[in-house]
Amino acid sequence: MTIELLILVAGAGLIVDTSTARVVVAYVIIVGLVAVLAAPATLSASLTLAFFAATCVLKLVAAPIALWEFARRNAAARSLRPAIGLPVRLIVVLAVVFAAQLVPRVPGLGSISHAALAAYVVLCGLAVLVVHRNLLAQVIGLLVLSSGVTLAGVVSAPQLPEAVELGAAFDVLVVTFIGLALVRAMITENPLLDIESLRRLRG
Amino acid sequence: MTTVLVVIAPLAAALLTMLFRPLDVRRIARIVLAVAAAALPLSLVGRADWLSLLFAGIVSVIGFLATVFSTGMYSVDWGRGRAMWTRKSVYFVLLGTFWSAMLLVVLATNFGALWFGIAATTLATAFLVGFSGDVSALEAAWKYLVLCSVGIGLALLGIVLLGRVSLELGLDPAHALEWSAIAQHHLTKAAPPAALATAIMLIGFATKAGLVPMHAWLPDAHSKAPAPISALLSGVLVSCSLYAIVRTLSVAETLGAGDTFRQLLLAFGVASIVVAGALMLVQRDLKRLLAYSTVEHAGIVALALGFGGPLGLTAALLHLVGHAFAKSAAFFAAGLVQSASGSTALSALNGQWNRGLPGRFLLGALVALGGLPPFALFVSELLVVAAGIAAHQWLALGMAALGVMLAFAALARAGIAIESGDAARESGVRLGEQPSGMSIGAAAAALVCAAALAVVPWTGALR
Repeated sequence: MTIELLILVAGAGLIVDTSTARVVVAYVIIVGLVAVLAAPATLSASLTLAFFAATCVLKLVAAPIALWEFARRNAAARSLRPAIGLPVRLIVVLAVVFAAQLVPRVPGLGSISHAALAAYVVLCGLAVLVVHRNLLAQVIGLLVLSSGVTLAGVVSAPQLPEAVELGAAFDVLVVTFIGLALVRAMITENPLLDIESLRRLRG
Repeated sequence: MTTVLVVIAPLAAALLTMLFRPLDVRRIARIVLAVAAAALPLSLVGRADWLSLLFAGIVSVIGFLATVFSTGMYSVDWGRGRAMWTRKSVYFVLLGTFWSAMLLVVLATNFGALWFGIAATTLATAFLVGFSGDVSALEAAWKYLVLCSVGIGLALLGIVLLGRVSLELGLDPAHALEWSAIAQHHLTKAAPPAALATAIMLIGFATKAGLVPMHAWLPDAHSKAPAPISALLSGVLVSCSLYAIVRTLSVAETLGAGDTFRQLLLAFGVASIVVAGALMLVQRDLKRLLAYSTVEHAGIVALALGFGGPLGLTAALLHLVGHAFAKSAAFFAAGLVQSASGSTALSALNGQWNRGLPGRFLLGALVALGGLPPFALFVSELLVVAAGIAAHQWLALGMAALGVMLAFAALARAGIAIESGDAARESGVRLGEQPSGMSIGAAAAALVCAAALAVVPWTGALR
């Protein structure tokens, strides 16, 4: 229950807060707690445990340090500059909580423990992608989404931990390092790292 | 073991090429090793299933043509003496990684490996899209990375839910994600989360295939990448993503969720054809026009799969193969035109027919993409219509016909500009280098394949 409450609060912080440093802390809390929930399923085989350890190092050590360093060196990256006001962000949090509560009612998902929690983490990741304008927020959103998928995998199919952990590790690797490499390349032309600048490209 | 060798061969070839120091020797080695990598999937005949072999063939042939085209096109760029790690060699290593990842997608026997291949394509192509270093290319790469990462994240979520369904059906965990193992179950009623799992997988793979409304990354990424990479992205990567959807459809049907899945495919297909057709009319850049055309053709494939039945599947597969070659030819030709005239603006196309082979190839490719004879897309679109009539999907068929007409009008406008007038001489467009014979050969080969495939339905090979 304590873990669920902490994830709930940290998830809300991801969406509501605007400081990159505090959002990175909230991200570490969520990912750390997801790792605690996922750990028992990974102890069955050494290969799974190795993937799990690699994922934890990437998510809990490498990615936060990279994000933190990036924000420290680039003043523009210290605020996530939300695209919507605080009241709307609070409504987004409530909507995410409400939607997550509905997931266990989907036929076939009711018997999965922590289904609502996994859905909450996935939805928080998606919400972070759209509520903030700073490109770093998108990296954080993708990492949270990946953690939610890991949790969903572990609680819904605990017999398939290799697939889940390998997928999660690869996802984190791709998102963090390609993402930061691209952000670094773009920062000279787009010093505010603002998603709005991408609108010159019309999909 | 053989499959592993086939998959890693293109990457290994690109790395091995770097051992050859003189640039001329390196170019020859690159072509020879690419031939070997492209021929290796033949060793799987009789071991892999026909669908995997078909797509491995597409990946290998177009991967090889892209390598030849790049070798010819970039012969004068980036040459830096005898260095091993030139910018050009990095380009070819990323190209080899992309090619290998796509082979993994089509030769995988389970959704876990397939997902890994799809995710690995992002690793290579995000850098290739932004390879020019131009800020708009970097931003296109960012958009591609973010949207496709969400897509592949959702696909993984769907796959783990599918794994749960498989385990509940009593499958061994080691085979829970294998489509051949799941196919042994024939359910009359949907296994509870099967429809949800396969629908989430569809949304994930459809993002990578560029189906509307998850298409926003595609026109930017495909138009900003170098021409041979655009050819691979549009011609092959989209085909690989649609291949993943075909595999998911077969599993959805086995698990009793086929109807829901096909309805979703119809919705994505119609939306893609109509939206892309309308947006093609307002494009001013040739590569963006071709990128939107990819969205339209991906929509036609989704529509054919949504119609269902053997006719729908045959139409979808023929359309996929025909489009892969026609679109590759179009992007190769666009690269040649860009190289010769220094622009991809549609206004610069005027009179390209009179300026040599690039304009003529481009017109041929546009005719192919417009679904005119003698190209394979003419036959496949007829089959799609027949599948729609057989399925009594009149509304979807009517809306799709409208979208296809809009797309045809946009392609016809570009084609008429190429064929008529000589405004390019007067528009102040810079004349660039003349394209090499190797690049012209690759474009010609892709176009010939797009035409030759039209005879496939009459050979009985798809029955």
